Amino acid sequence: MSRFFNSLRDGVGFDLVLVGAALLFLLALAGLPLLYNVLMSFQQVDMFTLGTLIRPWAGFTNYVDVVRQPEFWLVARNTLIFVFASMAGQFVIGFSLALFFAQKFPGAATIRGLFLVSWVMPGLVVGAIWSWILAGDFGVLNTILKSLGIIQETVFWKSDPNYSIWAVVIANIWLGTAFNMLLLAVGLAAIPRDLYEAAELDGANAFQRFWTITLPMMRSTIGAVLSLGLIGTLQQFDLFPAITEGGPANTSSVAGYWSWQMSFQLYDFAKGATISVMMFLLVLFASVIYVRSTRHEVRG
Amino acid sequence: MTVQIELNNIDKHYGTFHALKGVSLAIEKGSFVALVGPSGCGKSTLLRSIAGLESITSGSLRIAGETMTGVPPRKRDVAMVFQSYALYPHMTVEENLTYSLRLHGVHKPEAKARAAEVAATTGLSALLHRYPRELSGGQRQRVAMGRAIIRNPKAFLFDEPLSNLDAALRVHMRKEIRALHDRLGATSVYVTHDQVEAMTMADHVVVMRDGCIEQQGAPLELYDRPVSRFVAGFIGSPAMNFIDAVVAEDGRTAVLQNTDGGTVPLPSPLEPGRSIVVGLRPEHLRVVEHQGTFQITVGAIESTGSTTFISSADDLITLVQADRTSIAAGDRVSLAIPEIHVHVFDPETGLRL
Repeated sequence: MSRFFNSLRDGVGFDLVLVGAALLFLLALAGLPLLYNVLMSFQQVDMFTLGTLIRPWAGFTNYVDVVRQPEFWLVARNTLIFVFASMAGQFVIGFSLALFFAQKFPGAATIRGLFLVSWVMPGLVVGAIWSWILAGDFGVLNTILKSLGIIQETVFWKSDPNYSIWAVVIANIWLGTAFNMLLLAVGLAAIPRDLYEAAELDGANAFQRFWTITLPMMRSTIGAVLSLGLIGTLQQFDLFPAITEGGPANTSSVAGYWSWQMSFQLYDFAKGATISVMMFLLVLFASVIYVRSTRHEVRG
Repeated sequence: MTVQIELNNIDKHYGTFHALKGVSLAIEKGSFVALVGPSGCGKSTLLRSIAGLESITSGSLRIAGETMTGVPPRKRDVAMVFQSYALYPHMTVEENLTYSLRLHGVHKPEAKARAAEVAATTGLSALLHRYPRELSGGQRQRVAMGRAIIRNPKAFLFDEPLSNLDAALRVHMRKEIRALHDRLGATSVYVTHDQVEAMTMADHVVVMRDGCIEQQGAPLELYDRPVSRFVAGFIGSPAMNFIDAVVAEDGRTAVLQNTDGGTVPLPSPLEPGRSIVVGLRPEHLRVVEHQGTFQITVGAIESTGSTTFISSADDLITLVQADRTSIAAGDRVSLAIPEIHVHVFDPETGLRL
């Protein structure tokens, strides 16, 4: 018995306690809800069975129903636009800024630090601010675009079905760029300077150095940033209620927001769960890519 | 002999720090020049200025007769071997070697043939498809060399290339680099803080100190006639002994301080009563039975088998002798030195008298 307690204090037992605590935490707060969610997507759920675990089995009925919803393909299209446009914008702007601040000029590190403000701000606040900026009648974006002569007519970013999803994309790009920039800047800083010097002496111009040194050396960082970006944009919720509420007519609704609407506005918990399981498969795919990309480290 | 690299009155400032102070140097085509000095003396800055990796504040730099002011490194046609080797970790040995050729639009079959050729000279033939992380230190060093050779550049620049290798490999690579230099008929500039490397490899050694050239010349010239106490102390191993002394009445001998009135002969007459510093190389001091001109009490004796190091109890004097000795710590021994091996320096300026 005393050996058991000794091992708890200083030995394998201690290791197991530490790992166990972390696993228990994950299991209780992420694993069980996840399993419950998957289970729910295969059940008939209504207000009367909400409190029970075992409900009538529904098989794939919920999945078929979700796909048959009239807005399913619109939401799917919106989700794709939202995810890829946001990621592309965040990545390109973030990478450009990271490259820019990697140059040595006075205050580079300080200004780069200030960019993180956007990352610190709550999504709802960012959404509210962009809601004002994008407002059709008094928004500052329209004023700027008009005075620059880029547009003549007022654009109703949030209420025009052609633009509503882009309104949220713009806000999301602003929100996520700093995070992309930070991770990419760390990756850039990890590339030894003398590689660039060697490449320069070997005759590479700035573009060739970027293409043959920076990009290949950043492979794992870029993989990580893109996978985290995919997970982050799929999870994005706050901006939708703050800017468009998914409207007009679902033209700016994405899977995550739709799932929330199903569950907590229409109280169709089964369909809400089904949509989130579908999303989960996508995120799982991204996670696999992320894990694989960090395994293929080429440095050293 | 034509001058391949010509530095004229080069100055380099980093903010308020004056890294190079009016350095002028002519490097002849086909020569092997070593830049040597303690860390912070500006030797690496000078090398990087030649490469174009550092801009020079003023002065002119010409490579093969062309002024290099404002010319970016990639257009200077010089190759550099870095201390860290700076191999491209995501490329195989072959890709590392052919990188510059590919950038210059050389066709793949030709680039591969050249890589095979260079790999044969540097002993890398079996390793062409490995990545740098799969190579040993010595092999990485060879890849770095090969990458420089393949371009057939106007000059090779070496920035302490051997300092990451172990002692045995360092001695071996020293010879290999020199042999390669001779075979290619290249012009090489070699930066090192190790005076042995400089002495053994170079035709021409440049000793730098605080951003200035202290002395330059053939290795043995620096050893035989150092212009200052600094060079005298830097060149030669173990380092030269420096002893404060006063010129005696006859002007032909120096009375050593702290040695109970011992003397050494002076190579040329000096004004009696003058304070000087005499420099005595450990390998020139001899233990003698009679006719010793000064005496020391032996402190420590270290023998490597081939040589014996004897140091005085007050640590003022070290001497080296090739044969074994029966001298023990605490013994009082007489020392002598031929007058041609006595170096005399001014105690104030440190310059040779």
